[in-house]
Amino acid sequence: MSDEKPSALDLTRREVLKMAGGAAVVAPLAAALGPLAAPVAAAQAAAGPAFFTAAEFRLLDELTELIIPTDEHSPGARAAEVAAYIDRRLAGYDPAYPELQETREAWKAGLGSIDQLSREMHGAAFMEASEEKRVAVLERVAKAEQQATTPAEKFFGQLKSWTARGYYTSKVGIHQEMEYKGNSLQPGDYAGIEAGSV
Amino acid sequence: MLFQAAPALPSEVDLKKTYDAVVIGSGAAGGMAAHVLTAQGLEVLLLEAGKKLDIEAELKSMEWPYDHPRRGAMPYEAHALTSNEYTIRKPPYAAGMPWRNVYSYVQGWSGTDYSKNIVVDEKDHPYTGTNYAWVRARLLGGKTNIWGRLALRLSDLDFKAKSHDGYGEDWPISYADIEPYYAKVDLYLGISGHPEKLPHLPDSRFQRATTLNPAEVRLRQSLRKSGRVLTPYRAGVTTDGLKHNKYRSKCFGRGACSRRVGGCDIHAAFDSPTGLIYPAMDTGKLTLRTRSIAREVLVDAASGKARGVAFVDEGTGAVLEAKAKAVVVAASTLESARLLLLSKSRQHPNGIGNSSGHVGHNFCEHVMGPGAYGFVKDLVGKPRTLDDGRPGSFYIPRFRNLKEKRGDFIRGYGYEGGSGCGLYPDSAAAPGFGKAYKKAVREGAGAGIGLGAFGEVLARYENGVSLDPEVKDKWGIPSLRFHIKFGDNEKKMAADMAVVAKEMLEEAGVEVLGTDTSILTEGWSIHELGTARMGNDKKTSVLNQYQQAHDVKNLFVVDGSSHVSAACQNPTWTIMALAWRSCEYLAEEMRKGNL
Repeated sequence: MSDEKPSALDLTRREVLKMAGGAAVVAPLAAALGPLAAPVAAAQAAAGPAFFTAAEFRLLDELTELIIPTDEHSPGARAAEVAAYIDRRLAGYDPAYPELQETREAWKAGLGSIDQLSREMHGAAFMEASEEKRVAVLERVAKAEQQATTPAEKFFGQLKSWTARGYYTSKVGIHQEMEYKGNSLQPGDYAGIEAGSV
Repeated sequence: MLFQAAPALPSEVDLKKTYDAVVIGSGAAGGMAAHVLTAQGLEVLLLEAGKKLDIEAELKSMEWPYDHPRRGAMPYEAHALTSNEYTIRKPPYAAGMPWRNVYSYVQGWSGTDYSKNIVVDEKDHPYTGTNYAWVRARLLGGKTNIWGRLALRLSDLDFKAKSHDGYGEDWPISYADIEPYYAKVDLYLGISGHPEKLPHLPDSRFQRATTLNPAEVRLRQSLRKSGRVLTPYRAGVTTDGLKHNKYRSKCFGRGACSRRVGGCDIHAAFDSPTGLIYPAMDTGKLTLRTRSIAREVLVDAASGKARGVAFVDEGTGAVLEAKAKAVVVAASTLESARLLLLSKSRQHPNGIGNSSGHVGHNFCEHVMGPGAYGFVKDLVGKPRTLDDGRPGSFYIPRFRNLKEKRGDFIRGYGYEGGSGCGLYPDSAAAPGFGKAYKKAVREGAGAGIGLGAFGEVLARYENGVSLDPEVKDKWGIPSLRFHIKFGDNEKKMAADMAVVAKEMLEEAGVEVLGTDTSILTEGWSIHELGTARMGNDKKTSVLNQYQQAHDVKNLFVVDGSSHVSAACQNPTWTIMALAWRSCEYLAEEMRKGNL
């Protein structure tokens, strides 16, 4: 990452969100962050989500980005197309299998429960609430992470685990965020006990 | 090329010929039998029930998660059994499940799609009885294609366990009998590790050990105060290479080991095909026939000796016969017991080799589940080491009931541990969300450490398998019915495993995040042993010290079913050392005309 291009990196997340919603933000970030950043899958975006409605997808995309946001270190879940990963997985679930159909329904209901909670807390659907209020909704459900009871709290666990899986198995997550150096032939010093260690 | 591709299989196998030996099964035991017997100059036919997979294409060790359409997950119409399902359901587990294919649990977090063709489909291979996680790999090489690679020796504390604590039976061999064969296995197949001079976990002829990372060095130093040892994972992996084997590459620490269920597409990790079978084929003495499901050891009506094997051709369903002067059974512990029980004849009405009535009994294995995990606080945010290129992290050998004796349980357990940074950060389980969460994952990725124990399950006559009177597999062969339950000793030992794991981490200054106390389903360790044990008394054992049936001179059972007790060490290296010893004996006896 070049020091000459601090502009996009220095944007606070709030500023980024102000600039535009959704995938449009990804383009300047991807350009700034170099070739490893996930390219904007224009064709994919144009085709639209395969499982969720457009509105559900926007909500999901925002939730994933709130869970793993772009920060000064690397792009977040939106750039890593985590929502598209979740959408594709669920689209692939054959509803003829009861367990898969239940999971599909649980995701739709889960997104609904987040909206519902937002209405209860702020009198507005999640995507219509301010950034601050959205974070407050997530803080509410995340507080009960270890002992989730309400539908929204339970959904948060599922949402977070799929988001983490989608993100940390993506190009952005592996190469930019985690800077993983493996999966290549190592020069040879992976083996051999270092003097003094045993 | 790092290694040479596999030789072609013969298109036609001559079944009119009488081979010197027919070997049933091509895993660690069968592969070793094929290697030793051909090296001794015998003409060998090797029958494998499964097919030969294009294993490198199957494992795809270097594929990035994002290059896989489902990030490594199996197709949606397939299902891998979960820990919960093994407990709450009753075998046969696939009965009534809607999935097109049902596989055993053994699948890595990103690896389910890479191992689905290696394990059997439970729908075709039902079994009944008590809960048991039975992982079977029907393909050339068997479970060595996906094994965990921990390669340990047993000692006289294990071979003479009865003399030590009064329980069970001693083995009919001692360490001195098997030591030369452990050494042969070490040198022929390659093993990495660090010598520790422990009498109860003898050192191998090691190639370079893998490194210990800072968290592991800290735990090692802390354990030393209490006389315990943390040693680099003793892996059946060649870190320095093997000049005599063109089918295997040395390890390059690439990082595929810990993210998949196992398997190594450059064969630095031992697997039976590249380590044993292909070199044996190069002698010109080995004939391999895959998709050949043994269903009966055939008996000569006059002598009562084995004369060959009846098997089902998986492609056509036809039952064919292979003729041989000696039969070597190496179908994996429980499949071997099943085959002996299936082989009923006038001379052997309870199944071949079973005049003692002990076939299918005296089962033993390893109990696992309990352990602890945490993170080393002062490693948070430190530069990460690259840890998942190692074939394993570390092993803590047994320390219970060595000299002092506990009142609550006999025998012992060892811990396998993992730590450091892999491709997928364990720290993704951190609480919360947002920038703080992302930072916690990033900075905590190299700081985690965890360990889980493998403990000896006592061999008990009543634990084992029998033939199910009704249920059959896809080929009409009677299935196994399980009668296997952990006992009081295992439960008390398991309780100790969890407590001690937590204590050891805390003592080393590791912040403990969690302790696992629950025992996983019987079978979970995939270390099934016993059911055709060796012994000096033919009334209470099936095989003699050379894994030769007491009842039938030309019948040998050279896999884990011969083990008298499980010890707590992973059994693969012992299986191969014993098979090597027994097959040398077999060849010598054949030369002398004694079979």
